[in-house]
Order: sequence, then C-alpha cells, then structure tokens
Amino acid sequence: MKTIRNYSILAIALLTLFTVSCSKKDDDSPVPVSTTTPPAHEEELITSLIISFVDTAGVQPNVQYAFRDPDGDGGNAPTQQDTIRLVANTYYNATVQILNEAENPAEDITLEVQQEDDEHLFCYDITNTNVAVTRTDSDGTYEVGITSRWSTGAVANGTTKVSLKHQPGIKDGTCAPGDTDIEVTFVTEIQ
Amino acid sequence: MLSNRLFFVVVLSLSFYNCFAQNNTCNYTLSGRVVDEHDRSPLLFATVYIKELERGSVSDDKGNYTIANLCNGVYTIVVSHLGCEPITETITITKNKKHNFYPEHHAEELKEFTLQEGGYAEEKTVATKKLSERELNQSRGKSLGESLKKITGVTSLNTGNSISKPVIHGMHSDRVLILNNGIRQEGQQWGNEHAPEIDPYIANNLSVIKGAEGIRYGANAIAGVVLVEPKALRDSAGINGELNLAGASNGQLGVSSAMLDGNVGKLKGLSWRLQGTLKKSGNVKTPDYYMKNTGLKEYNFSWALGFNKEKYGIEMFYSQFNTDIGIFSAAHIGNLTDLQRAIEAEEPLESADFTYTIDRPYQHIEHEFFKVKAYLATGKVGKLNLIYARQYNLRQEFDKHISRNDSIAALNLPELQFEITTHIGELVWKQNRNKAFSAQLGVSTINQANTIEGRDFIPAFIKNGTGAFFIEKWRSKNFKFELEAGARYDYISQQVYKWNSRERVYNYHDFTYNNLSGSLGAVYKPNDHLTTRINYGMAWRPPNVSELFSDGLHHGAASVEYGDTNLVAEKAYNTILGVDYVNKKILIQVEGYYNQIDNFIFLKPTLPATLTIKGAFPTFNYTQVNAVLTGFDLKAQYKFVEQFSWTGKTSFLWAYNNTDKEWLVGMPANRFSNGLTYELKVFQLLKKVYLEANLETVLEQKNVPENSDYLAPPSSYNLLGVGVGFTVPTYKQQNLVVNFEINNVLNTVYRDYLNRFRYYSNEMGRNYSLKLKLTF
Repeated sequence: MKTIRNYSILAIALLTLFTVSCSKKDDDSPVPVSTTTPPAHEEELITSLIISFVDTAGVQPNVQYAFRDPDGDGGNAPTQQDTIRLVANTYYNATVQILNEAENPAEDITLEVQQEDDEHLFCYDITNTNVAVTRTDSDGTYEVGITSRWSTGAVANGTTKVSLKHQPGIKDGTCAPGDTDIEVTFVTEIQ
Repeated sequence: MLSNRLFFVVVLSLSFYNCFAQNNTCNYTLSGRVVDEHDRSPLLFATVYIKELERGSVSDDKGNYTIANLCNGVYTIVVSHLGCEPITETITITKNKKHNFYPEHHAEELKEFTLQEGGYAEEKTVATKKLSERELNQSRGKSLGESLKKITGVTSLNTGNSISKPVIHGMHSDRVLILNNGIRQEGQQWGNEHAPEIDPYIANNLSVIKGAEGIRYGANAIAGVVLVEPKALRDSAGINGELNLAGASNGQLGVSSAMLDGNVGKLKGLSWRLQGTLKKSGNVKTPDYYMKNTGLKEYNFSWALGFNKEKYGIEMFYSQFNTDIGIFSAAHIGNLTDLQRAIEAEEPLESADFTYTIDRPYQHIEHEFFKVKAYLATGKVGKLNLIYARQYNLRQEFDKHISRNDSIAALNLPELQFEITTHIGELVWKQNRNKAFSAQLGVSTINQANTIEGRDFIPAFIKNGTGAFFIEKWRSKNFKFELEAGARYDYISQQVYKWNSRERVYNYHDFTYNNLSGSLGAVYKPNDHLTTRINYGMAWRPPNVSELFSDGLHHGAASVEYGDTNLVAEKAYNTILGVDYVNKKILIQVEGYYNQIDNFIFLKPTLPATLTIKGAFPTFNYTQVNAVLTGFDLKAQYKFVEQFSWTGKTSFLWAYNNTDKEWLVGMPANRFSNGLTYELKVFQLLKKVYLEANLETVLEQKNVPENSDYLAPPSSYNLLGVGVGFTVPTYKQQNLVVNFEINNVLNTVYRDYLNRFRYYSNEMGRNYSLKLKLTF
C-alpha cells in the first residue's frame, strides 16, 4: 500500500516535471508558407540616393543626379552612379532624397529621416572643386542637410562625398559623432 | 638532485635484484574471489593487478582469480572492474593466501549514467585534460569559454568580455564539439559572436579532448571536444547541497548558484537534483575608461531525476539557459569610414560610466535542454544505453538603432531572430571487458529545424543525420599496452529554403553528405611514471549554412561576405603524440599534433571591394583550401620542496594554407606562462591553503597573411595574476572553500588578437574577484 502511494507521488512528480519541460517551442516551420511570402520582419533597404539641383536665378536647367543599387548591399553592383555636373559661378538649391526602390511603389525614406531630424545629419565633403555647401534646414537646434545651397566657383574637377550620419542623442552639429547610414561619393565636374 | 635520482635508481635495481635472487622461493599464490559489495554476486573479468610487479590476473566467470609466483613482501593490489572506481588494498604475502575483494559494483551503474564515455581503468589514446578542483573553483563566475583557458592549448575567441568561445589548437565554433551532459550542444554555434549557451555551474567536471574525435561523436569534432559533465546523482538516502557565490570588482559582477541533491530512501534508487544560477554584471572597465553597454544578465536552472537499479535505470535532465548580453556600443559601425575613425581614436568614440542597464545593441538568448537516458544490462555481456534529447535555441539580436519607421520601431522587435529545434537519439551498446577486449557500438540520429525572422543572414532549413560507429579496444595482459581502433559512417541531408530578396522568391536547395572515417590509437605505459600515447584520428564536418549562404554585408564585421553553395565537407586527419612523465618532483606533459585539414573553409579576401550605398567594403568569399595546423602544448611542474612548486605552460601553433602558400588568418598567438604555488600546512582551522602568482605571456601573432585585416595583430603582452585560497571545514562533511584572485594586477593596457573588439577598445583592467563555495 505504502509502495503504491510512493509510486503515485513519483508519477505525479514526473507528470509535473514533464509539463514544465520543453515549454519553449518554435511555432514556425522552416518550409515557407508560399514561395513568395518573405520571411517575417524583413529588413528595410535603402537603394537610392538622388540629389536635385535648382538654379536660384532660374537660368540654368534643373538637374538630378543619382546613385542606385536596387538589390541593396552586395549582390549585383550598383546600376547607376552619376557624375554631378554643375555650371560654374552659379547658386543652386539642392534637395537630397533617399528611397527604397525595392518596394513598389518606392518608399521615401527621407520622410522618416525628417521625422527624426534631431538624430540625423547630412554631410557634404567636397574635394578639389570650388564648391561651397551650406545646409538650409534645421531641426530647431542644428542643421539637417536635406536641403542645401551650393555655390560653384571656377571650372574644376573633383569629388563630392554625401553621407548621412545617425546621431541619436549625440548630435552636436558636426559630422564627427554617430554611425554612417549612407556614404556615396560622386565624381563632380564644375563646367 | 642528481644524487637523489641516482640513489633512487640504485634502490630500484637492488629491489629487482632481490626479487630475481629469491626467484626460487617465490612460489606463493594469492587467490580468492572478486564479488559485488552489495549482493555478493561474482564479478567476472575484474582485473586484480599488483602495482609493484606490474602484473595481475583477471577473474573468471565465478569471480575467482589466482596470481601465482609471488615472493615474500608487501604488495599494493588494485582491483578494477569495467566502469567501476578501482579499489586499492595493501596485502602482505608470507605464505599462500586467500583474499576476497569487494568492489562497490553498485556505484558503477550510477557512474555509467553520467559519464557514458567510459574507460575508468582504461587509458584513452588521446589525453583528456580536465580542470582540477582548484582550477574549477577559481573559474567560478566566468563563462564556459573563459573557464577552459586554464587548460594548455585551449584559448578563447572573444567578442568583448561577455562573449567567449573555446578555441582548441586554433579552431573554434563549428570545429569544436561541446558535449553538454553527453549530448551535442546544438544552437547557432557557427557564429563567431555566439557563445556556448551553457551554465558552467551545472558541471563538476569540465574537460577537453584535444584531437579529431570524429568516430565516437560524429561530425564537427575536428579540433576536439569540450565535455561539460554534472556529477552523479546521490546513491544513498539523504540530502546534500552546494551554494556558490562569486563577486568581481570589474563590472561589479555578482553570481549566486545553488544545487540540492537528494535521494529518497523509501523508494530505493530514486534520486533528484535541483540547481539554479543568477548572474549579473555591468559595464566593464579597461585601465582608462568604461566600455559602454557591456553588461550581462543570466538566469539559469536545471533539474535531474534518476531511478537507478542495478540492472536497469532511467535518468532525466532538464535545463534552461537565458541571457541578455550587452554589445559594446562603440563597436557598432556603419561603414569603413566609421571603422577607420574607431581604429584611429585613442579612446572609444562613445564614453560611459558604470551602469547595469543593458541597451541596444544586445543579444537575447534562450536555450532549453531536455535529456532522458535509459540503461539496461544485457546479461553479463554488456550494457545498452538509450538516449533521447531535445534542444530549443532562440537567438535574438537587437541592433543599435531601431527602425526609422515609427510603427515598426514601436514593436521593438529584434532585427535578427533564429529559432532552432534539435532532436537527438542515440543507442549504444558497450561490451564488458572480455579478457583483453572490449567493444562499443552504436547508432545515432539527429533532426534539426531552423527558422528565421528579420534580416536576411542565414536561411531556414531542415537537417537530418544518421551515424553508426564501432570501437574496439585491446589491452595486453601486463597492462602496459593498449590499442584502440574505430570506424564510423555518417549520412546527413539538409533541405534549405533561402529567400531571394532580389527576385522576391524562395530558392530551394538540397544537400547530402556521406562520410566514412576511422581511427587508430595506442597507449604504452612501461612503468608508473611514463605514459606515451599515439593517435591517428579522422573527423569531418559539412559546411554550415553561413558558409553556404552568406550574401551581403556582415554588419558587425564591416565586410561583404559571400557563401558558396558548392562547398564540400571539410575532412581532418590528425596525428597526436603525447608523453606524460611524473615522479615525486617533476611532472611533464607534452602533446604534439599535426592536423591536416582538406577542404578547410575560410573567408578569403577578394578584389575588388564591393560598392554599396554605405560606401565601399572589402569583399570576402568562403573558399576551400588544404590546410595544416601543427603545434605542441607543454605543461611542466617542478616541486622545489613539498610545499613550493613552479608550473610552466606553453602552446605553439603554426597554421598554414598549403594551397595558397600563406598563413591562415585569425589563429591564436603563441604563448607561455610561469606560475609559482606555495601550499601551507600550518593551520589547524584552514585546510588546503595556497598562495599563487602567475605571469602569462602572449606573443604577437606574426604569422598572418597579407591584406587580410584592417589592423595588424596587437603586440605581445604580459599579464600578472595572484591568488589565495583555503578551505574551512565547518561541520562534519561541510566545507567552505574560499578563493580570492586579482587578475591583471598591474592594470596592463593591452589588446588581444582573438578579441573581435580589438579595433575599438583595450582589454579589461585590474579585477578583484572572490569566490565562496559552501558544501553541506
């Protein structure tokens, strides 16, 4: 009799332990639901950066230059890497736009940057050309750089590095802090 | 010193001479029976061995043994039975004598359950190096990877201070097999920043087999095997336990771990264990600054239940491992420009004070482990073990920045999530030693399912594997020679569902791998002082999913990495020669190895760099070459006097890519260490008192291929550590073990080649730690 009770205690203990055990499980299956449903929470891409230039005097034609890597980082090489060509001795208003063109319609990521403008800063590093860039927008304290004014000097050839810095809580108006979300170098010709 | 040894040799030869001289009168016989201590049943094939004469006898099927031709004298008799703790007795022979031995046969079954890899009375042809009790006590509070570094030839691959992977003879991750409770630990072990998901407090034995151990354990045991083994469950009625507390100044680490062991007297054979660990640490400090977001949280528990009878038994083990690991913020970079700035900066570009708070970026990991093992004696011939185990592993990686899209950001999801579930089954039959022979044969199966969410890194897959093996051992009659041979066949199939983000469709891949391997080893023990071992072993591993399918930017590594679906399995042919010599003053352990690895997979830098919208990144392709990893480990001890000893350790490794005629990248630097230990025996209240100091020297890794890294390997460094410890007997069997250590006493500023954060930060500065262990 006593043994029976002991064994039933053992059985109950075992049952409890089994219920506690293996409580964690993977609810998904490795086999995809359909051949075209992407994995959950796919990463957002930035595929394209476009800069549009408008002559403030309205004399020179409006121009647009782009860097496009439609399949994201790695994989196929970028499909478009324009040379920025601007007219000498001219003032331009420039607007930068970043897109995810892997989506249809393309997703305008500039809007998300604008919403978090106190964490972001566009930087323009120009080498060997006579161009001065001034950011013309503000997050209330510091510039953002989505819009900017470019004043070109004499004829010259060089490069322009456009970068987007992510500076949450550490933005100080300079390009030093934070990580780089975008960095595109355009060959630049002032004609 | 020399005269001492000379004297010893003279005495030894005299004693031999005596024995031979009296040969005519050496006709006494020692005989009797070897029977089970519990039920007095005869134990067959037990060995009765006379240490002094280096000969012995084996009991017959009635447990009878006879040793003839003995002289007058006092002999040390060692009686062992397969799987049993050997018993030693001293017997004086003046005439023919009858003597029965009563080994505790019951204990054998219990041992058999926890340590299936058997061979107590037997030598392995590849040495197993285990942490001593003191080393284990000293390592408490550290991660598994850090704990094992006390073993010569074992280093670690670190990602900061909290993520540490064991490196054996230059290899890690998918080339090192970790056996948790005798079961392959299965998570996402391919990743450099994926630490083993094991609470070291579950184990009272941490050891490493350095060698290609593919026969017994199957795929992946290319560099060796790490064994994490709990102690056996209680075999007598009652309750006992252990309380561990550890604290360290750097990171303000605190750990508490407790274990309770019980045996229910009323239900004979029923025993249980409960165990749990809590661990917390905050930002770690280098000599000059804190490292931001380097805290850690861990909460683990396990239980075990066993019902062990003499002829059969069943044991269950369950454990959960949960951790949040902060990733050093300044190591998060967007592109190469950021990396260059971080490398050039004197101090990390993000500063911090001390805090326990863990922010993004961090990893959240859960590992659930369940094992059930049943045992049945198959007559007197052997034993059958059946094991089933299930593991579930969740890995979530939270990036530094949440999504720019507010609605997604609000969910606070990990940017990367893997879930992998593994089922393992194993059936092994072990033959009891039959005169000179003993055999082991078994089959094992594995089924694995992996799912992914978030960033496209590795694909979802299903994997199935089956293996069968056979190992035969032979031991000479005088116990001086042992031979071991084994063979194994494995079959693995893997179905992969890879999301192709460019074409917005899944690509299906089907892989199959076959492998036949063998091993041969020998042990020669000419006397009590010297053991020599030689082993030729084969091991293999199929390419892992990251090697097959990497495709794009590896965020943590600032590189674009491409896998190759045409990779074939890696095969290792490892020859190991080991010599152990020990006498009263000296201990020497040397191991030399030559590991030839065909189709060795590694990331090879490729031109040109890959241009992305984040700038240009160096490109790496997973490539296969023929490689040779060769080197030696040496451990030496010398006792100046009984209490005072010196210990020296050194490990050298040369890892060469024979295909491209260049060194292999990312190999641990050569190193050596010198330690002095002073053991005091003057106190009444304190036992096992010791003082020690250790100077570790890690040389600069000069054998690196050109253009393979962003930064040259760091220069050599010396680290001084000191420690003191003692045991306080409190009450009856209770003990309080105290260990106090200071690591990096001189607050040396250094960086280590095998720390992935060496681009960003110095290593941890001075650290005081105190460990208490109370057994009751």
